[in-house]
Formats: sequence, C-alpha cells, structure tokens
Amino acid sequence: MIDGLLIGLTVGFPVVTGLLARGLPGVWSRRLLVVLTTIVLIVSSLLLLWRGPYTYTLPEFWDEVIVVLDFILLFYFLYLGFRIRHPLVVVLTLLQLVPLAYFEASLPVIHVEPTLAIDFLAIIMCLIICVIGSLICVYALSYMDEHEEHLHLAKTRQPRFFLYMLLFLGAMNGLVFANNLYWLYFFWEVTTLCCFQLIRHDETPQAEKNAALALWMGLIGGVAFVASLFIGYYQVGNLGLNSLMSAQPAAIILLAFACLALAAFTKSAQVPFHSWLLGAMVAPTPVSALLHSSTMVKAGVYLVLRIAPALQGTALTSAVAFVGGLSFLVTAVLAISQRESKRILAYSTIGNLGLIILCAGVNTPLSMVAALLLLVFHAMSKGLLFLGAGIVENRVYSRNIEDWEGLIARFPLISAIMLVGMFTMFLPPSGMLLAKWVTLEAVASSPAQWAITLVTILAVGSAATTLFWSKWMAHLLFHPSTAERAKREKLQLPYLASTITITALDIAVSVIAAVLVAALVIPTVKPWYAVKLALPLLNLSTGIGAFPIWPLFLVMAVALALAVMVFRAKGGKLVSPYMCGENVEGAPASFRSTADLEFNFDASGMFFDRALGEPKTNRYVTAVGILLTVLVFALALVV
Amino acid sequence: MDGWLLSLTVAVGLVVAAPFIGGILSGIDRKLTARMQNRVGPPIIQPFYDLLKLWGKESFVASRFQALLAFSFMVFSVVAFTLLVLAQDLLLIVFVISLADVCLVLGSYCGRSPYSYLGGRRELLQMLAYEPILILAVVNIYAATGSFMVEGVFKLGFPLVILLPGVFLALLIALPIEARKSPFDISASHHAHQEIVRGVFTEFSGFSLALIEFGHWFKLIFYLALLALFWVPLLWLGAVLAFIFYFIIMIVDNIFPRLTWTFMLKAVWLAGFTLAVSNLIVLALLGVGLAWA
Repeated sequence: MIDGLLIGLTVGFPVVTGLLARGLPGVWSRRLLVVLTTIVLIVSSLLLLWRGPYTYTLPEFWDEVIVVLDFILLFYFLYLGFRIRHPLVVVLTLLQLVPLAYFEASLPVIHVEPTLAIDFLAIIMCLIICVIGSLICVYALSYMDEHEEHLHLAKTRQPRFFLYMLLFLGAMNGLVFANNLYWLYFFWEVTTLCCFQLIRHDETPQAEKNAALALWMGLIGGVAFVASLFIGYYQVGNLGLNSLMSAQPAAIILLAFACLALAAFTKSAQVPFHSWLLGAMVAPTPVSALLHSSTMVKAGVYLVLRIAPALQGTALTSAVAFVGGLSFLVTAVLAISQRESKRILAYSTIGNLGLIILCAGVNTPLSMVAALLLLVFHAMSKGLLFLGAGIVENRVYSRNIEDWEGLIARFPLISAIMLVGMFTMFLPPSGMLLAKWVTLEAVASSPAQWAITLVTILAVGSAATTLFWSKWMAHLLFHPSTAERAKREKLQLPYLASTITITALDIAVSVIAAVLVAALVIPTVKPWYAVKLALPLLNLSTGIGAFPIWPLFLVMAVALALAVMVFRAKGGKLVSPYMCGENVEGAPASFRSTADLEFNFDASGMFFDRALGEPKTNRYVTAVGILLTVLVFALALVV
Repeated sequence: MDGWLLSLTVAVGLVVAAPFIGGILSGIDRKLTARMQNRVGPPIIQPFYDLLKLWGKESFVASRFQALLAFSFMVFSVVAFTLLVLAQDLLLIVFVISLADVCLVLGSYCGRSPYSYLGGRRELLQMLAYEPILILAVVNIYAATGSFMVEGVFKLGFPLVILLPGVFLALLIALPIEARKSPFDISASHHAHQEIVRGVFTEFSGFSLALIEFGHWFKLIFYLALLALFWVPLLWLGAVLAFIFYFIIMIVDNIFPRLTWTFMLKAVWLAGFTLAVSNLIVLALLGVGLAWA
C-alpha cells in the first residue's frame, strides 16, 4: 500500500498540483499549492528513505498510457520545431518518431517486471530532487514576484512557470525510479520539454534562441536514447534496464551503453554540449538553480552512475572518464575569465558534473563513493549559490561580479550566505572538498595506467578552481573601510526559508558526512563493488588515507568562537587604507597625489581576457571536445 | 599504549617548538641580509621582540572581517603543521594549507586598499603556481609508498628522495614562493619595494599582523619539514639539508631581483610541473612504487 502511495506522491502529486497551479486563478491558491507540494514531497521522500529500496510493477495499462503520452510529446516537439522554424529540431524529432512508430508497429512487449526499481541510488536522487528542488520552488514564489515587477508585465506568466517547475520535479522522480527503458525515455523527454519551456519563459529573442539550442541538444540525447532502446530490445529481448545491465558485455551491448552515455553527456552539458547550459542562464534564476542542482543535469550523471557497474573493465569506461576529465579541466580554466555571476556558476556546474562522470568512468569502488558524495554536496552548494545570486541580482540589477564589489557592506546577510556557499564549494572541511579529496585518492589509486593523465588534470583543475572561487569571494569583501556598520537587509520569508534551510542542511550533512556514507553511499555501491571504507569515530578512512571530518569542524568552530571573543575584548578602530598619499575626506577610494590633485583608485577583477577570452576559446573548446569525444568512443568500441 | 603516548609527546613538542625555530630562522635571515648589505643587523631574537610589541599595540583594522581572517590564517597554518606531525593524510594537509592561504588573501581584500589588493591578486597567482605542484608531489608520494598518510613514508624503510628526486627538486623550486623570497616574492616582500609596499600585509597592523607573522613561521617550518620528510629514515640529515636549502634561498634572495608574476607562473609550471609529472611517469614505467606494484 505505502509502496504505491509513495510513488504516487513523489511522481504524480507534483504533476497534479502543477496543473492545478496552471488552471486555478489567484496568487494565493498558487502559493498554497507550491507550499503544499513542498511539504508533501519532502515528507514522502523522507518516508521513502525510511521505507528503503523496493521494486514496483504497474499493470500493463500504464505502459500503454506512457506510450500514448510519449507520442503526444514527440508530436508536440515536432510542432515546436515548425513553430520556431528550427529544422534541426524537426529532424531530430523525426529521428525519434519514425523509429518508434516502426517499433510500435512491430507489436513489441513494452511491459517489464518490475516497472519501477527504487534502489539506494534512486533514493539519494529522490531526496535531492524533493528537498532541494522543492525549496527552490518556494524561493521562486518571491523571486518571480520581484522578477515580474521588474519586467512590468501586464499579465502574470507565473501559472505556466510553476506548472513546468512542478512537472519537472515529478518527471525527475519518475526518471530515477524507472526500470523500464521506455518509461525512462519518456521521463527523459519530459525533462527536455520542461527545460525548454522554462528557458524561454521570458520570451525575449535571446531566451527563445537559447531555449531552441537547449532543445535540439537535448533531442540529440533523445535520439541516442532511442538507439539504445532498439539495441536493448532486439539484443536482450525486453526493455528492462536490469536485463540490459546483466547482459553479456558483447560489442553491440556496449554500443547501447555508449548511446546512453552520449544521451547523458547532452543532459549533463559535457563538452562539446556545454553551450546549452551556458545559454540557459537567460532564464529566471530559480530555473537555473533547479537545472543546476537537483534536476536536468543531474539526470545525466544519474544515468552514467546507473550504467557504470555494467561497464567495469571495458575500454568504454575509460572513454567516459576522459570526457568528464576534459569538461572539468576546460571549465575550471574558463571560469576564471568570466564576469557574469551565473556564467561562473554554470562553468563550475559543468566542471563538477565532469568530475562525477570522471569518477564513474574510473569505476573503482572508491571512485563511485566519490561520485556519489560529489552528487549530493554539489546539489546543495550549487543550489544555494544560485539562490543567493538571484537575490543579489534582483537588488543590484547586475549579474556582473564587478558590480558586486564590496557587497558585504551593502547586503551583509545575502553576502554572508554567498560566502558560505562558495566556501562549501572548494575549501576544507566542507562536503565538496571531502568529495574532491576522495576523488583524488580514488583516481590516484585506480589500477589503470591512464590514471596519471587524470591525476594531472585534477591537479591543474583544482588549482584553477581555487583561483576563481577565491577571487570572487575576495571581491565581495572588497569595500571601503570608512563605511559605517552595515545594516542587515530585509528578505522575504520564502527567500530566508529556502536559503537558510539549504545552508544549514549543507553544513549539517558536511559535519556528519560519515553518516551519509554509511546510510546511503555504501549501500548504493555495495551490490556492484567491493567497498573497503572504514568510518572510525565518524571520520572517513579510505585505507590509503584518512580525513578527520568533524574534528576539523570542531577546530574551526572553536577558533571562530575564540577569535570573536579576543577581538571583542581588544576592539579595533576602523582606519582608512594606505594609498601612498593623503586620503580624501568623504571619498574612501580617493587620495591626493601630485599637485594636491584628487586621484580615484579603481580596481578591476582578474579575468585574463587576452589568454582566455570568449568566444574565441569556446570555439576551440567545442572543436576539441567533438574531436576527442568521437575519438575516444570510436577507440573504445573498436578495441 | 606507550608508543602512542610517545608519538603524541613528540608531536606536541614539535608544535610548541615550531614557532621558536621559525622565529630564529627569521632572525638569522635578517642578520645575514644585513651582513650582506654591510650593516650590523638586529639581534637574532629580534623577531620575537617585534612580535611581542605588535601584540601589545592598539588595534587598527580596515574592516571587521580582517582580524577574523588573520586569525583564521594563523589557526589553519598551525592545523596543517599539527596534522603533519600527527602523521596524517598529506593530501588533506595540502588542502588545509591552501585554506590558510585563501584566508590571507580574503583578509588582504578587506578594506579597499590598492596595495593590499595588488598583493592579494598576486598571492592568488602564487597559489595557482604551486598548488598543482603540491598536489602532484603528494600523488607521487602515494605512488612510491602506497599510502597518502605520512606514516607510509616512515614505513618505506629507505629515503623517499631515491624514488622521487624530481619531486624533491620541484618542491625546492616552489619553496621561495612559500618563503616569500626573491625571485618569487611578488605578493609581499621582506625588502622595501615601493610599488606594492607590503603587498598582502599592507593593511594588517598590530595584533592581526602579529598573528600573521606567527602563522607564517609555522608555514615555513611546515615547508621545511615536508622537505625533510623526503630523507626519512635519515630524518636528521633531511632536517639539516632543509635548513641548508633555506640558507641558500636566503642568499639567492639577496642577490636576485624579484621577477614578474608571468615569469614565476611560467618557471614554476614548466620546471616544477614537468619534474613532478615525469617523476610519476617514470615510477609507473619502472613499476617501482608500492602503489602500483
């Protein structure tokens, strides 16, 4: 009873409330629906965690429903292709529609036992989607009001917005539960649709253009998915992902997996498909937060993690690792050159997804643990950073981080949240750094010879990551010393509730990361791999290294308390900085120089335009990305 | 139990001794520099007098966060060294060191000061230069000993430097950056250079500056200890050699000009990186490391 109910609540409920939010008039009904969905999703995902893994078979009738819905969806894509006059969309949709119509005509058995298989990986994903995803929807309640006020819209577009936001959550849950490849494919395409609609939400020419880009790149993934569906059905005899996973790894089966991996790369915006995610930032910020943290791109890495065990020991898995490694390296370096807040975050997302895919490709017990840790902590930290960036953007009216100079003096609360978010992205002892540490140890200790290349990539990429995060953090702190003590800004309740909850969650889970590892990560990895991980006193020990997690947090907390006490006692007089000339009264950035003239001191960021400037580099990156991806896959499948 | 107690005593002893050794080294440095410039120079223990004086001075800050970040820099420098003497995970130690550095950079950006800002930028570039070298060095140590823990180096039974001469050289190249010595003293210098004043340290004063100086001693000793680690079980030889290298760096500091950040990045990356990576490749090809054996 509870088994079916939990699936209904996590997959069906957000779809229903989304449709209601679209249909019902009034602001309050919409707000109520979103809050209700949030509560239901969080509670049911926690119940699912408590229930543990199970499988569920739906009657064949539901398979028919999915097939019908899938064809409706594909025809809608076709219609969209004609409406936005995009031949690529039409062609790519036809490439799915025609084979699938042929497939249907040959009267296949769609039904698979079980339809849905909820294992620990699915539970982890469901928790991310339901907790982080729905908190982002709560945040959107305030954000969209401010956003529409700023745009001076005559008629609100929020009903449509929340329909797709909630539908997204439902589809993602369906995607991670599905064992039937046809179902998985259907939910996959629904997320493509939601992504398209949300990116074009503002209906500016730029938004339409970037949405089309996201659509056709997503559809490439759809085509690859259909190919793997075919191979799977005709080689294995049914559409079960579990059957495909346990099939003998013949060359043709590997091709099916290669197609799934390709589909995953399009979803996760890996180089050379990274441009759609960069374009997606034209969407309202809650959309970016959702795409980057808990949905869409996470569907791609989920699929790679799902199929990784079947690829152990193949050449294909190395190819996957290299694609991920390339994305990590390139985006870490390119992020240094970016001025736009959301673009930096986007590059960092692609990089971290690349890291997860690299780990899945390295395919050792330890690297899978690293991948799962990255998955969880990235969802929280990146979600938080986008939420913060959105709040700042609605106050500063700029996404250029050079305009965020000294933000801490103007908006101390949201700046503090951003600073904490950035801290948790790359500094110890936060969860992301713990995950990165496991990654490095896992890659270094992997038996393959190419581990040296990957380790080198990781070393360079980490250094670049440190640079772009710390210069952004530094920029927020860079403010005139003469400013009086800043007053904390007032934020709406949905803003506070979402950002503070995620911050607290991020820190809490970081401190008890060992519990996460014991309760969810090890059970996920265990069925496929021999994990040798010890958790002495809730610290992490990999057998080749050890990470004292909470002791480091303890040291930090004690140091912080001590510092505050000492400086309270000692006090500290605010003084103007040294400028090699007399400071000008009332103008903290000016000093008197030659002939007593006033000079203004201007500070720019550090972006290395000449070396790294877009779009020149991006062209090369795409070209190299296509070449390398084709090459490694060809090699992997031929060898 | 006895062994455990003994190693803890040694660790505590080393942590307590580190700032004294660091301070005296800094004093010798000043004396040596003075003699090379035909001056008499301050007494060897002058750095301790300076520290005490700074400690007691009235506190001026450029921003409320500045003092906090100075404190964090000191704490994490101490934590990194403590983890090292407790024979913990080397990769984690490298990350903690970079956390300390990030705290210093953030501190230098507090308050809108041009010189401190310039120093902060350059400090970030210095981190970009040596962080990959440190990470690769640790991976090399793993490849040789089969463990990321400092313990692994002690269990090896012969000096690490036999397997990792390239890595040792790479660390020597990067040492002047950490020690803030020419030719790589681009973010802050011990000598008077008007174009950056005191770089990252410009806006720190009094108690905060004392904290930073204290943390810097720890970092210096940490770095020298890392070099000495390559000579275990002949640790005494390693320690002697590390001090000798530091004296060579002091002399180089006095006869070499400081160079641009582009030169630093190129030199450290080209030489250090090549050395570290090729050492790793050679280990793998020969199959001598314990990790891949």
